[in-house]
Amino acid sequence: MSMAVATAMDIFHLEKALYWDIIKNTSFMQIQLDNLVPVPLRDKILQRSSDIWNRPVTFTPGSFTKIKAPSGTGKTTLVHYLYHIRTDYTGQVLVNGQPWASYSKGAIAGMRQEQISVIFQDLRIFEQLTALENIELKRVMNAQPYCSAEKVKEMAARLNVTHVLNQSGRTLSYGERQRVAIIRALVQPFQWLIMDEPFSHLDEDNANRAAQLIAEECKARKAGFILTDLDNDTRFAYDTYYNL
Amino acid sequence: MMPSFYQLLKKIIQTGIGASRLIMAAGGLGIAMILLLIAIQAHTDFDQLLNNQQNANESADFLVINKKITNAMMGQNAKSEFTPAEIADLQKQPFTEAFGFITSNQYKVTAAAPGDLHFYTDMFFESVPDSFIDVKNDEWKWAPGDNTIPIILPNDFLNLYNFGFALSQGLPQISQETVKALPMKVTISQGLMTQEFTGRIVGFSDRISSFLVPVSFMDWANGKFGTGQAASPSRVIIKTKDPSNPVLAEYLKDKGYTTNQDKIKYSKTKRIVQIIVSVIGFFGVILLVFALLVFSMFIQLVIASCKKEIQLLVTLGTAPRQLQRYLMRQFVPLYIAIGIVALLLVAGLQWWASVQLAAHEVFISKWIAVSTGCAALLVVVLVYIVNRVNVRKYINAIS
Repeated sequence: MSMAVATAMDIFHLEKALYWDIIKNTSFMQIQLDNLVPVPLRDKILQRSSDIWNRPVTFTPGSFTKIKAPSGTGKTTLVHYLYHIRTDYTGQVLVNGQPWASYSKGAIAGMRQEQISVIFQDLRIFEQLTALENIELKRVMNAQPYCSAEKVKEMAARLNVTHVLNQSGRTLSYGERQRVAIIRALVQPFQWLIMDEPFSHLDEDNANRAAQLIAEECKARKAGFILTDLDNDTRFAYDTYYNL
Repeated sequence: MMPSFYQLLKKIIQTGIGASRLIMAAGGLGIAMILLLIAIQAHTDFDQLLNNQQNANESADFLVINKKITNAMMGQNAKSEFTPAEIADLQKQPFTEAFGFITSNQYKVTAAAPGDLHFYTDMFFESVPDSFIDVKNDEWKWAPGDNTIPIILPNDFLNLYNFGFALSQGLPQISQETVKALPMKVTISQGLMTQEFTGRIVGFSDRISSFLVPVSFMDWANGKFGTGQAASPSRVIIKTKDPSNPVLAEYLKDKGYTTNQDKIKYSKTKRIVQIIVSVIGFFGVILLVFALLVFSMFIQLVIASCKKEIQLLVTLGTAPRQLQRYLMRQFVPLYIAIGIVALLLVAGLQWWASVQLAAHEVFISKWIAVSTGCAALLVVVLVYIVNRVNVRKYINAIS
């Protein structure tokens, strides 16, 4: 019995090692779009011009990228395409030159643990866990956590959510959930951080604190981000602007 | 103390939802396992029982086989001989471990007792390869030029004389030692050629009912006094591990051969026990299949009921493999516990049965057989593999 378990674990470790090879051989994760058009928005998008849709786009690794997107232009759809949780598009999303679909589930999980992180607009907090457990889940998902438990406490303090850490996810306000989601996205290693209206539920002061923390964490990793939002803003020193 | 990843998963993926199914599956698996183990153990015990009763010291038995003499065959000696095809067929049977011819003399033999005993008789010799003889003796050898022939008598022959003939005729009974001490005058002849030897009894055989001489003597004498043609044997001897093997009894019956029926009398009992054991084992297997089905339904239910949670976990970067390992970790201790409980129960049953049977002078091992333990392990591994395949399938379906 224990033999069978051991063998299964060996295979698991072997595959994990293989992901590591893929990760280490690629110094920067490159994200490119190739004439990407969402099927549900096709007619609407083809009637107007866009910096993103239906054209080749290469996101420069390590750059702070802002995509300004009025309502209904497919902002959240784009984020879901970039993070590969929706695939109802024509054209391609290329990661290191390969379309998302060519990666195995295991390889995609490896990338989501090591190379690409996300803050969803709808936050996606586990209601059956406390705020801290939601963050911990992401932190200890990697066999070797990227940051320490103390670092999590420190980030929580900076975003003024220390007092809700032991509260159930069910009872958190939207603003608290958003800050927990931001910390959750920052506890893992990444080269790209994808954010969908990350400050929509925060007041000016908390939004600026969060932006500062995100900028610091990106710099520490030499990582870039892609941020989508409705309006112009000056919270980050953006390298690139796109209009969706 | 921060919770581990699996502890957090435990809060998200509730396995309690299908508790009744899990209990059914576990119960089914337990009963299936007990039935299977009992079938295997009973089979082993019965084998052991037969072998113990029949050969206390040896693991094999020897059967002398000949064709049944029927009225139609009388007067045609050739009909009782084995043809080369029949011999080849017998040799390739799975129950035949070793095979030997019983060679008869092709010359006349007379024996006379020494001194005043006034004992004179025509007789015959046969020989079999040494490995089939149960008398181990240094004197059992002969080389051309030796004047003394070692002879092995059947034990039954001495008994017949002592308790049948001697008592009724008022003759003295003779001990084995006395017989061994008496030299006999053995004369072998063919036509005008005769040669005299001293015959010496070196042992008594329970296995072969014949007057045995060494193969070397038989070959020499048949060469010198015989017809020169190698005669077909009408009796052969085989070594077999299990004389109660129903296949062996069936074969002998089909071919019209006979042997010492006493030795194969257990074959019928054994066949009945085999059928009972097979039926128990069959139900065990059927139940095991159902238990696996219920396990599969339970796994499907757990995964379906946590579909949204599992999808979010995968979105956040949890590898499908991590989820599989987490779920298997919930089940594996259960399989092992069921395996151990079933094994303990069967071991208890075996111990109890051995005590009960010992009171009736029937001895079986107090401990379960190695094969029973291996079977338990095999079932646990099988359940593990089947469930792992299921977990992988259902997780891949929703992630």
